[in-house]
Amino acid sequence: MADSPKIEFDHTEGEKIPHFKSLSGYEYKRIYTDEDWDKTIPDAGEYPFTRGIHKDMYRGRLWTRRQQSGFGSPEESNELIKFLFKVGQTGINIDSDIAGKIGLDPDYPLAQADVGLQGTSMCTYEDMVALFKDVPLDKVSSTLIFPPPYSVIFMGQYMMMAKAQGIPYENLIGTMMNCPFTQLVGPTFQANTDFFPIDLAMKIGLDLIEYLVRVAPKWNVLNVNSRNIRESGVDAVQEAAFALSLGADYVNGLCKRGINVDTFAPRIGFFSAVHLDIFEEVAKFRAMRRIWARLLKERFGAANEKSMLFRCAVQTSSITLTAQEPLNNVVRAAIQTLTAILSGVQSVHTTSYDEAYCLPSEETHKLAIRTQQIIAYETGATKSVDPLGGSYLVEKTTDEMEERIWELMKEIERRGGFVECFKAGWVENELNQARYKLADQIESAELPIIGMNMFRGEEKAAEIKIFTQAPDMQAKRIEYAISYKKNPNRGAVKKALDNLADRVKKHPDKDLVVPILEATEAKATLQEISDAMREALGWSIPG
Amino acid sequence: MSVKKRIIMAKMGLDAHDNGLRIVSKWCADAGYEVIYAGVYNSAERILQMTIEEDADAVGLSFLGGEHIHYSKKLLELFKAHGLENVKLFTGGIIPPADVAILKNMGVDAVFTPGSRRDEILSGINSCFEKRGKGS
Repeated sequence: MADSPKIEFDHTEGEKIPHFKSLSGYEYKRIYTDEDWDKTIPDAGEYPFTRGIHKDMYRGRLWTRRQQSGFGSPEESNELIKFLFKVGQTGINIDSDIAGKIGLDPDYPLAQADVGLQGTSMCTYEDMVALFKDVPLDKVSSTLIFPPPYSVIFMGQYMMMAKAQGIPYENLIGTMMNCPFTQLVGPTFQANTDFFPIDLAMKIGLDLIEYLVRVAPKWNVLNVNSRNIRESGVDAVQEAAFALSLGADYVNGLCKRGINVDTFAPRIGFFSAVHLDIFEEVAKFRAMRRIWARLLKERFGAANEKSMLFRCAVQTSSITLTAQEPLNNVVRAAIQTLTAILSGVQSVHTTSYDEAYCLPSEETHKLAIRTQQIIAYETGATKSVDPLGGSYLVEKTTDEMEERIWELMKEIERRGGFVECFKAGWVENELNQARYKLADQIESAELPIIGMNMFRGEEKAAEIKIFTQAPDMQAKRIEYAISYKKNPNRGAVKKALDNLADRVKKHPDKDLVVPILEATEAKATLQEISDAMREALGWSIPG
Repeated sequence: MSVKKRIIMAKMGLDAHDNGLRIVSKWCADAGYEVIYAGVYNSAERILQMTIEEDADAVGLSFLGGEHIHYSKKLLELFKAHGLENVKLFTGGIIPPADVAILKNMGVDAVFTPGSRRDEILSGINSCFEKRGKGS
């Protein structure tokens, strides 16, 4: 130890953090007092729901532990679902591989190398059945992460499965995300527009909502993925404003069809990120609840209070996780999970610490669920509703966030709404500017990240277990898709696809859900149905 | 650099997580490289074609989902078959530690993993151009 360097620390200077700004640039004051906030706020469960959407919140019922899961084949993913329930998961969150989210079968050349990597490989009715083996569809709620038009195909498979099990559609509980702007990697332009025309995708999404509120009234018909928006690098204000503006575009589109807002609005939800700035995040969720309630009541004329509820699932942020010292991510995820609970959200996915390397292993999935259970059962954070309510800091920051979010929403509205901003490239530009800024903040350590840009240790790669796939998984799935489509007993498929193509060509403005469901019932594959529509539109895809 | 080096920046296959690609592309452009931004959803054949058409000096690929070995190998094979061994290839993104060596052994000139700083990445790219071609 003779050549150890001298300790570099000067107690006379003390240790200071670099600044007092929030992640979105809001300046925190030294102390908050009744000069900052001296109002009273309505109870939880009362409009505008700042303190929570239910009167009793977690005293009445804990949030749902809903880990996004899936890898490889449907059979392997079914085993993972069973494992997650065994350790205490309480809801299902189906994540398909990317091919599943953009309407490709595993045998499509550009899809082959990605089969089953980021989620479950799914393309047939039989895949859906294998994935949900032994899951009681009327007891366990499932979230299905698919954008339109593919959401219609997977919803069709799900309903066929329910029918085969004798479960009426009106008993189905769960969510079809059904948003074509945010489902892949946030609202980046190319990712969401290359495989299907975006206007028709949105239109088909609205068709599906109209259909589902009629046949499956307990089913959630739309979920705006605010988390993917945030993970593309924007701040809390942008996340909230983008997501709420997009939500408003959907509500507006459905109202314009002449549908009563109270028939569908109670079935709309959001999926947000939880970042590391505790009080700004708590304020964000409280402000989002308030804004959504006001939008629905004042702008869209909702009369049913359920229409005004900002129901929110969350996943702790991945962009905050580091490859350096990955165990630090356990701490980050735990803080974010606690923040979500202090914010009063409805379901939580705690991101696993190995995410900067690979998909979560069973072990890290389990730790994520345990994190939630410790907060639920050991910390007492659940025992009173809105525990931070009334704090001068939190109330003042909630007001401030609300004001900043409204302001940005007004700008988006002046530009024609979120969908128009997306199509005009304004959103893309905002995302890129945010990314460059974020990169600068990380480089300069204005955004401190422990173990990465501050207190960075030796440059050795971390030694953690890496999740690996079965070596023949992709080949098997590709072979399966090829042989499935070769089956000669598929007479009904061609007829159904021709019928769908004809409808898309001649009457794309009319309902497209029924002809897509008919093709699904005829057991056409995901890509067969998607291609029938693409070809009818003369739409070519990357190959 | 007397003549600006031309770099194609791309993501391959279906993964469209492009935060890293956007940021590193900007860093390269700011550092004086000419960046040809190929975006997402590329096949190896498309990148080969672009490399030829654009007379590119290097290709940078960003990965997240575990498809890095497949596409790096395929692109290197195509480069070899078309006499493009002198085109540099660097990759970045979520690449498990054990795979870094695999990529380098197959001929990838540089591999950047999460948490790499701007100066590390830029000096890594610079030094790719100082090395002799893989064929020599």
